[in-house]
Amino acid sequence: MKNLLKVGRLLPVILLCIGVTAFAQERKVTGKVTSSEDKAGVPGVNVIEKGKTNGTATDLDGNYSIMVSGDATLVFSAVGYSTKEVAVGSQSVVDVSLAADVTQLSEIVVTGYGTQEKKEITSAVASVKSEDFNRGTVNDPAQLLQGKVAGLSITRPGGDPNGGFNIRLRGISTFGANTEPLIVIDGVIGASLSTVDPNDIASMDVLKDGSAAAIYGTRGGSGVILITTKSGKAGRVNVDYNASLAVESVANSIDFMSASEYAKVPGAKNFGNNTDWLDVVTSPGRSHVHNIAVSGGTAKTTYRASVNLRDATGVAINSGFQQLNTRLNLTQKALNNRATFSVNLTTTTKDAEYGFKESLRYAIVANPTMPVWDGTTTSATAGGRFAGYAERDIFDFFNPLSIAKQNKNEGKDIRVLANIRGDYDFDDFVKGLRLSVSYSQQDESDLRGQYYAKTSKFRGFGRNGLAGRQTNQRNNKLFETTLNYVKDFEGVNMTLLGGYSYQEFFNEGFGAEGGNFLTDAFTYNNLGAALDFKNGLGSVYSYANSNKLVAFFGRANLNFKNNFFVSASARYEGSSRFGANEKFGLFPALSAGVNLSNLVTIPAVNSLKIRGSYGLTGTQPGDSYISLQRFGPAGSFFYNGSFVNSYAPVSNANPNLKWETKAEYNFGADFALFDSRLTGTLDYYNRTTRDLYLLKNVPVPPNLASQTLLNIGELNNSGLELSLNYNVISNSNFSWTTGGNFGTINMKVNKLTSEELPDGDTFYLAGMGAPGQNAFTLVRVKEGTEFGQLWGPIQEGVNANGTPKFKDLDGNGSYCDCDADKTVIGNGLPTLTFGFNNNLKFGNWDANFFFRGALGHEILNSYRGFYENTEGTTVDNYNVVNTKYYNPAIKKAAVNNTHVEKADFLRLDNATIGYNVQLGEGSMINKLRLYLSGQNLFTVTGYTGIDPEVRWADQIDGDGGGGPGGVDPFSPGIERRSTYFTTRVLTLGLNLSF
Amino acid sequence: MKKSIVNKVMALALGLMFFAQSCTNLDEELYSDLAAENFFKSEAEYIAALGAAYSSFGGMGNHFGLWTMNELASDELVITTKGGDWYDGGVLIQLHEHNITIDNPIVGNTWNFLYGGVNTCNRLLYQFQQLPASDGRDATIAELRAIRALWYYWLLDSFGNVPVVTDFTDTEAPASKTRAEVYAFVEKELNETIPLLSTAKDGTTYGRINKWAALAVRCKLYLNAGVYTGTPQWQKAADDAQAIINSGKYSLESSYKSNFAVNNSGSNENIFVYPYDKVFAGGFNWPMMTLHYASQGVYNFTAQPWNGYSAVEEFYNTYVNATADTQFPEVYGGSDNPGTQGNVWKGTAIAPAQGTQDSRISNFVVGPQFNADGTRASDPGADSDDPDGAPLTFTPKINTIYPNGWRQGGARIGKYEYELGGTPNMSNDFVILRYADILLARAEALWQLNNGNAESLSLVNQIRSRAGVTPFAAPLTPEKLFAERGREMFAEMTRRQDLIRFGKFNKEWWAKNASDPKYKLFPIPKGARDVNPKLVQNPGYPN
Repeated sequence: MKNLLKVGRLLPVILLCIGVTAFAQERKVTGKVTSSEDKAGVPGVNVIEKGKTNGTATDLDGNYSIMVSGDATLVFSAVGYSTKEVAVGSQSVVDVSLAADVTQLSEIVVTGYGTQEKKEITSAVASVKSEDFNRGTVNDPAQLLQGKVAGLSITRPGGDPNGGFNIRLRGISTFGANTEPLIVIDGVIGASLSTVDPNDIASMDVLKDGSAAAIYGTRGGSGVILITTKSGKAGRVNVDYNASLAVESVANSIDFMSASEYAKVPGAKNFGNNTDWLDVVTSPGRSHVHNIAVSGGTAKTTYRASVNLRDATGVAINSGFQQLNTRLNLTQKALNNRATFSVNLTTTTKDAEYGFKESLRYAIVANPTMPVWDGTTTSATAGGRFAGYAERDIFDFFNPLSIAKQNKNEGKDIRVLANIRGDYDFDDFVKGLRLSVSYSQQDESDLRGQYYAKTSKFRGFGRNGLAGRQTNQRNNKLFETTLNYVKDFEGVNMTLLGGYSYQEFFNEGFGAEGGNFLTDAFTYNNLGAALDFKNGLGSVYSYANSNKLVAFFGRANLNFKNNFFVSASARYEGSSRFGANEKFGLFPALSAGVNLSNLVTIPAVNSLKIRGSYGLTGTQPGDSYISLQRFGPAGSFFYNGSFVNSYAPVSNANPNLKWETKAEYNFGADFALFDSRLTGTLDYYNRTTRDLYLLKNVPVPPNLASQTLLNIGELNNSGLELSLNYNVISNSNFSWTTGGNFGTINMKVNKLTSEELPDGDTFYLAGMGAPGQNAFTLVRVKEGTEFGQLWGPIQEGVNANGTPKFKDLDGNGSYCDCDADKTVIGNGLPTLTFGFNNNLKFGNWDANFFFRGALGHEILNSYRGFYENTEGTTVDNYNVVNTKYYNPAIKKAAVNNTHVEKADFLRLDNATIGYNVQLGEGSMINKLRLYLSGQNLFTVTGYTGIDPEVRWADQIDGDGGGGPGGVDPFSPGIERRSTYFTTRVLTLGLNLSF
Repeated sequence: MKKSIVNKVMALALGLMFFAQSCTNLDEELYSDLAAENFFKSEAEYIAALGAAYSSFGGMGNHFGLWTMNELASDELVITTKGGDWYDGGVLIQLHEHNITIDNPIVGNTWNFLYGGVNTCNRLLYQFQQLPASDGRDATIAELRAIRALWYYWLLDSFGNVPVVTDFTDTEAPASKTRAEVYAFVEKELNETIPLLSTAKDGTTYGRINKWAALAVRCKLYLNAGVYTGTPQWQKAADDAQAIINSGKYSLESSYKSNFAVNNSGSNENIFVYPYDKVFAGGFNWPMMTLHYASQGVYNFTAQPWNGYSAVEEFYNTYVNATADTQFPEVYGGSDNPGTQGNVWKGTAIAPAQGTQDSRISNFVVGPQFNADGTRASDPGADSDDPDGAPLTFTPKINTIYPNGWRQGGARIGKYEYELGGTPNMSNDFVILRYADILLARAEALWQLNNGNAESLSLVNQIRSRAGVTPFAAPLTPEKLFAERGREMFAEMTRRQDLIRFGKFNKEWWAKNASDPKYKLFPIPKGARDVNPKLVQNPGYPN
């Protein structure tokens, strides 16, 4: 309060100062600001009198008018142009021509709560502009960045049009729910990627190290991706129309036997047909994408409005989606240009048919001599138990076409994101002080429906028709306010930031599932018609939960004469999900850089900045209420002749539950060599995550529940990242730039135990599943060893009875099917990931080739582990997988080292060739470009499975018609049997601008 | 001027802080979760809390727990490896062959299941002890102690040397007690609580431990006392059985099968059951565990069964063979089952053969299987060497335990009635204590006290008569007692105890060689000893 009083006393003095300024002698200067490029007027240029506080902006035609004092110098500045200073002298008309500043545009890097010039950046931040994004048919923003940033892995095994991408930055630094980087879209923290259409993105900036991400506190632990959407520019109205048409085909599945091959296997069940099941369950996918954007503005108002329409079908029958996305970005200046209001509104609606991966899975294992139809009919029109589809009463098999055709798996997603921001420039009050207040709200709604027909052996038949319906709603509200202060003094440029952030989340939903229908007619639209609900056999649930985050943060950036740079930041953040004793954590960061080339001259070096940083970031628990002791339903209790619910503890109180803390060092260099033709960035990082969340067995008593989520465990990641860009040839009719990025990963599990809880230093995960291999686990996580170990026996031959002969590793004379005779048989994590790009321009033609790959990882080929053998049950029931490793002598399915394959790969991810149609002078069309693009054109790999792509986590699948299991973050490197086939996409596209 | 800037910034920051004060509250708001402080407030909530002590029994009726461990380690049931299916790391065959490792997950699950039951009782005892004293509270406390005694009885029986934890607030990792100490504890708890428990046998005690259920537990404790402590307690076992008989509340049902019917809650023979229900209390999934994939059509089940458990052929033969099986005489030497002869399924079951008509053959699903619509059920994946090929026929004969047991090999468990159109969750109540067991216990105890005891023979013959087979003539032999217990108590988790008590557990039987006596106790699971290093491993197992 004391400070408040002081300010109160100061107020009259400040007012007096302002008053004095107003009385100085003034005259009027007018003029026009034009672009040196096209001589057109430039609207929205800031015109200020140097050293004073008065200023104005040019109007739509570039004209301005300003009152100046005697001997004034005017400063003209605008985004995208070099700033120019002009001494007015005695002139009353000052016309100025501004040169476009290309470097400035491309060198601006978006950091958390602000931007910086690239030369000032002292931490590991990678910025990718729209012109460098991936091309072709890109339906997910994450795909734009795939392979573009060293150390950023974006993967989607297979070509499911509705499948999301896994995003991992520098490996994983938590085993909890938050393994993916935090997404920030136009300042909205935690915005959903699905609110933004890839066409509307101007740039994506990746905050890679701890010091850059620390400003995001408890959510920066897995890195941050900042997305900036395109906005309008003052000047003439622009209309952009982008359209593309694509066809998609199966690129790879897995090799299995044809009917004639299968029929020769001893014990084959030959039904006399020749069915190509792959062909039966797939068809070429088609998609088209349309994007229209209208943008423009005046000196005070800029806008961009866009509509994106996507319609895609996948290669699996009945899979695809239709999506409509709209976006409005509007900026309005007010209060004598001191205030700026920005409004971003986006909506996305998506109707999806998810289809069934099981249809693909059982197409691979279906007996190829089996007919599609049971013989009573050749189409689904006839009756019969299974509507005419041929089925077999065996375990874990369903007619693949019946799965896809008879059943429904659909959904509708709606995303709404609204953001309003007000900025006020306090230059009149304190020069360089700016206040910003923003509020955003995001609503996401998912509605799902499934129906399994009465005649579908897959899930529906036993239940006499089965319907499910679920809805989930997620709401989050974010309020933030920041103060920015910029000051130059004695060659030092100082930028200070302080802020407060409040965000609350609310999730709710409900769902029901029930079967026993009179008719299939309702599908999932009339759950009340399911007799199961009357009989008590239907299931129903609802839930709601909330959480909150509160943070105070600050940052100081110092630039000493463009030679030395220092940045320090801290976020003090609390989460409701933390335990009562640990509500708030502090996440500081410090980084510094020196521009060596400014200080010493090094031959051939045009610029060289070296930098180092250290920062702490956190991760919060994936769920609310974990720190509380809770009770929940625990079965039923037969009490006095009827059942009542019984309740039991579901979690122990842990008031000390806190954040996971990741401490990260980063040393890097940014350089430009040989007349700046070779530019690049090199980074080394070493991060240690402590207090990892682990669900540990705890003694009961004193605990009520036998497991508690505790902060125990330590993980270390380190790696080297290099990106290079080389301008090979650059002249007016031919240019060629080539570039690549490389990232290494080294992950080690340092600790899984504590002194109080010494057990659990090793655990085994990833059960292989049925048939017969439920108890076989493939993954070992052990304290003090590398993360990602695949663990199993070594096959060294075949026994007389056809079972694989496993090596006696512990030397006790025989193989024991126990831990002592198992060893590391691979590692699911790559040692190197890379992307490699070539851009060519020749006259009106342009071409781009982008390769991507990973080296050093292994993948378990599950199909081989189950079906590549001549065991009776395999041959009797299923087809036989037939890769180059097939050995007819092996008569037993038993996963071992021979099924774990090297999965190094190099993929031509994208090749695009484009033509810019030359339009005559005065044409109404500014730009017309046609292009042809191919995605996933070829893959070089020795892996025999579906996709050698890195598997960061294990997507467990169900057997015998069960639903998919969970995702296990501890178990990388497994290709499960329900993997969508990879696809090849050919796109014909058009960019039109007028 | 500089200072004033600082002041201004500070003022603004403070203003923000002040505004923020109301927005820094990070207490969690709950919606669909129940915090501990909001629970245990009303009588209905006490009942719901007490229910947790009983819903712990929900793990009895599914695969991979206490029941699986006991049954697979005996000669009643086996899960053969069927080609690619059911090997599961060899942990199932280990139990059958008595080659059990300390990390066998079924043993580990059982330990957790039993101590989970104990811990729930301890927690509830602690919570109820905090309530003001009342008759209701004291009765509940006695009931909880008796339930806990049952859990400890199973721990004593399976593992022997285990820690006895009774105080919920005791945070020390508990040390192992000797088997005799655990025995003494169970006896003491039952002695102290039996007088306090309800004597009613009606809706208020159905599915709960009343006095008679606790007596039945003590009777079985005494019956096996020689195994547990080295000192038999035959008289005490006979007396407890007599007390239950004298109560007049229980009697043999005229139909053996009715004790296991879908709606078996009216049985006068079942003393303690866990009431399963397809709607309210799922988890009893024997049809899934035992029946063939193609049995789905036989019963119109809503889900496809897994083709796991089958009966050992020689055990099955003790029902249909009038004279003892000669294959493994040390186990089946006295298994004569005289009675009316008629058509039964034997061997490879291609055609009916002559055998004893024992009504308890309903314990099995055996022979040709027909779909609910009358057509022959079929196994399209039938093994090429299966004698009857694709038509689904459960043959008592099993060719081998590994690597490729016939998919249709072995009679299947039919003990409980399978509901037509049933779900994976059965509604039959799971029988934990049964009057017939008590009659046989008294018969055995009296025989041990005096091998010419006439009441002993008559009790056994009550059981035989109900089964529709010829009563035994004197003298009663231990082999006959043992075999009769086997026929009567199939799949009720008594066979392993019987094998041990009658000295047969380590003998040779089908697909099992004579085994080391150490396997009479299961190993203390590795996982449990990792958490609590004070636990002592059972003799003979690797430390």
